[in-house]
Amino acid sequence: MSDAVLDPAAFAHLLEITGDDLEFVDELVDTYFDDAVVQLTAMRQAADSGDAEALVRPAHSLKSSSANVGASTLSEACRSLEADGRTGVVPDFAGRVAGCELTFAAVRSALLTERAAR
Amino acid sequence: MIGGRVLVVDDTAFNRRLLVRLLTSIGHETLEAENGREALALLRDPAVAPVDVILLDIVMPEMDGYETLEALKTDPQLLDLPVIVITGVDELASVVRCIQMGAADYLPKTVDPEILRARIGASMSAKRLHDLERETLEQQRRLLATIDRQRSELARFLSPQVAALVSSDDGEAMLAGHRREITAMFCDLRNFTSFSETAEPEEVLGFLRAYHGVMGPLIVEHEGTLEHFAGDGFMTFFNDPVLQPDHATRAVGLAVAMRERFADLGAEWRKRGYVLEIGVGIATGYATLGRIGFEGRYDYGAVGHAIILAARLSGEAAAGEILIAPRTYAAAEDAIEVEPAGDRQLKGFSRPIPVYAVTAMRTREVAE
Repeated sequence: MSDAVLDPAAFAHLLEITGDDLEFVDELVDTYFDDAVVQLTAMRQAADSGDAEALVRPAHSLKSSSANVGASTLSEACRSLEADGRTGVVPDFAGRVAGCELTFAAVRSALLTERAAR
Repeated sequence: MIGGRVLVVDDTAFNRRLLVRLLTSIGHETLEAENGREALALLRDPAVAPVDVILLDIVMPEMDGYETLEALKTDPQLLDLPVIVITGVDELASVVRCIQMGAADYLPKTVDPEILRARIGASMSAKRLHDLERETLEQQRRLLATIDRQRSELARFLSPQVAALVSSDDGEAMLAGHRREITAMFCDLRNFTSFSETAEPEEVLGFLRAYHGVMGPLIVEHEGTLEHFAGDGFMTFFNDPVLQPDHATRAVGLAVAMRERFADLGAEWRKRGYVLEIGVGIATGYATLGRIGFEGRYDYGAVGHAIILAARLSGEAAAGEILIAPRTYAAAEDAIEVEPAGDRQLKGFSRPIPVYAVTAMRTREVAE
């Protein structure tokens, strides 16, 4: 599971640029969790109201922060949603947002599992 | 590179924390804003110390990166602040747009600290250079304004020629002292002492104002260097600091003009019962000129035989008389009409000196 949702190279890069400060990276990851919940809530609201434009910013934000922690699958899903949001037409809007929520849950548990395993 | 103050503008807490961490690790101080509006508020807050570099995200709520850049680049106080745009890998088109809008550089969101250090260092150097240039220009402007103010203030106290001399390149050498042939002119009023004793002080001051008001412009007009004036008397010289080949003629011309102009003023005061007339003495000769006096109170002055002679002749002059020394006469002969006024035995001079009284300036046609 963790291999599917997490890119170890991206996570390693994060560790590297912070000077292998695991404690800080953990804090950063917690910040990511909080951010992600906010962005996913906004994406869910956009999906519920079918507002493609309102999807763009939270999808963009989650895309970049997910890429930073190595959640490349989620990042890619958000990139695609952001791109569609900009066109104004988001096929399978609610389904894809729900997919993001599921992927995020997987990312979260993978990151927490990794932390617990140390 | 000394650490600078970097403002991180990003709506995502994750990005802000990461950048702040990286910036701090390479020795910078940081400030954070969640969007452009917050950033501008911080930058414009006088209580917040100035920032050296801005790291700006593009996609943000409330006020995005483009709007922020636009606001920064149209604010004269902020437009020189370097902005580095933080972007994702798929945002190259946005980067181009930001750079066209005046952004200095761009960085990926997960940046290597070494690259961050290098880019921020480069932007800060550019800004410091720019600030230095601006500061230098501002200093220069202030300095020039001060010089200008000093010059115009000096001109109110000194002769315009002396004021100009102080500001000129060879001013110091000239002020240090030099010898030159000049024509000196002393002028004071006959009966002024008794007038000042009998008239009301207000009347005396009123008269002096009118008198200086008439004589001052004439001195300026004839380009005389006013050495000093005290009460009813003043001393003017010619040919220094500005060279005037016709200095003797100019001095006599000034004296004649003064006598003519004073006629009106004198007539007015005569109606009030006061008979006042000018008496002028003029002499030509070598003098030492320069800064004379003591620390705190210097005058641009002249010392020499000709000065004393002019002063004595002024003392000798009867009401309305312009007495000139032989050397002045010799120099101005072609331009003036005189009558011999006898050989005078003057205090401090061993032999009697032949003196001439000027009656008028020759008109140009006669002179030629």
